[in-house]
Amino acid sequence: MTELMEPQTPQWWKKADVKKTFILWIICTAVIGYVGAEFHVRNIVAPASENMSSIISLIRIFTWAAAPVAGLVSAMSITVLTSGRHYGDNPPPEADHEIRNSPKTTAVWIVVSGLLCLFALVGGLVVLQHDNEAILDTKAVQVNVVAQQWVWNFDYPNGARSEDLYLPVNKPVVFHITSKDVKHSFWIVQMGIKMDANPGYTTETAVTPDKIGVFDIRCAELCGLLHAYMQTKVHVVSQADYDAWLTAQAAMEAGA
Amino acid sequence: MDKRLLGALATVVIGVAIIAGVGSYVANAKNDSGVLAATPAGTMDTPQGNLPHATLAISVYPDSMWRNKGKVAHPGYVSYGPVTNFEVPAHSVITMTVTNYDSGESLNNDYFAHVRGTIDGSATLNGVRITQISTHAVGHTFTIHGLSVNQDEMFVSVPMQAVAEENIPDAGYTSKPNVTVFTFVTGGPGDYVWNCEYPCGDGSIAKFGHAMSTMGYMSGHFTVKG
Repeated sequence: MTELMEPQTPQWWKKADVKKTFILWIICTAVIGYVGAEFHVRNIVAPASENMSSIISLIRIFTWAAAPVAGLVSAMSITVLTSGRHYGDNPPPEADHEIRNSPKTTAVWIVVSGLLCLFALVGGLVVLQHDNEAILDTKAVQVNVVAQQWVWNFDYPNGARSEDLYLPVNKPVVFHITSKDVKHSFWIVQMGIKMDANPGYTTETAVTPDKIGVFDIRCAELCGLLHAYMQTKVHVVSQADYDAWLTAQAAMEAGA
Repeated sequence: MDKRLLGALATVVIGVAIIAGVGSYVANAKNDSGVLAATPAGTMDTPQGNLPHATLAISVYPDSMWRNKGKVAHPGYVSYGPVTNFEVPAHSVITMTVTNYDSGESLNNDYFAHVRGTIDGSATLNGVRITQISTHAVGHTFTIHGLSVNQDEMFVSVPMQAVAEENIPDAGYTSKPNVTVFTFVTGGPGDYVWNCEYPCGDGSIAKFGHAMSTMGYMSGHFTVKG
């Protein structure tokens, strides 16, 4: 009796295409990770708060976490595009057993993707939570932010008012944000905070500036004709300079 | 002539006509009334020293009927005039005279009832020095945005007193307008925008629609030239 022999096929990881894809995966992951994490981050503004520093670190970590996924897709694409093509009316004879379902692969793919998403969610929430810690700080500076097409104005507890924002360095600040007309979005670019300004509602966010300097405030919600011009400056100064400015500004407002 | 060639030619002609029509409509609707350059007026002493002085005189009207006898895209829109784009010299003192022919109501943000960004934070209203006006009698504001991207900051906001309702005639413009004069100092060259912060646009968007959302009526460019 003749025993039927199964045709010997090489183990899948020994196939030339798989080896090629694996090498390309490593190369693509390294290139995408480095370019994404380094060049992209370099184009982000220099941080002026711990919050923004954390956001930039998070972007770097997320980029490296996502790089293997993008790298694998890129490697497989390159392999497929550069493989030998079959010309003819019918599929090649080996096509029948090359395409097959693999529950294990599907499960691994879903679990890894799910873990990456969970990691992104938890990481993002942990970093953004820094904003809210200062809201509970009773010693925080309180500033009312009022948006109006297409100007910001700021009200301080002692009666001072201004069109550009003044803040003391290394002290938590809570912003109470609202709008007089349409939806705007209060964005301090270098401090990594962005909060909607809604008519009829007050939203809150907080930040602790950690650098003295002049930084940008922009509207991040398309709000009408001059939206692109709805921007001003935030001056972060020492506590002594802030106190002096606040007193002078309140006196000026009282005299006006 | 070949029918197919005739069809192709007709398609091209109709296409050109449609594009020309749309272009003409857009050109007429943009309301770019031109640029008004400040008039040199010698020099003036300021806290920043003796600086070149220039003046600008403009008006605010309750409609746009004054412009080209009302033959504009929106003759019913409230408007500044004679133009809404201005050009002033850098590092100079600018005195603006605004004659307001329009009535008004309450501001939605009292911040703009104060005079801000002028020399000593004041203006004159019909010859009387003011630093603010009632938030319930504001006709309009002239507010230059404090943009400072690669240019000096310049935020100027001055409220215009509304003309009392009893002085608004049924037709034409009031003979008792309110005249506001204010002076401010310019920095280096830059391109700014200005607009009215009193919600006078009627219609949608909390009265910030219509004239408030269309260039050439209650907003424009303010260019500081070196």
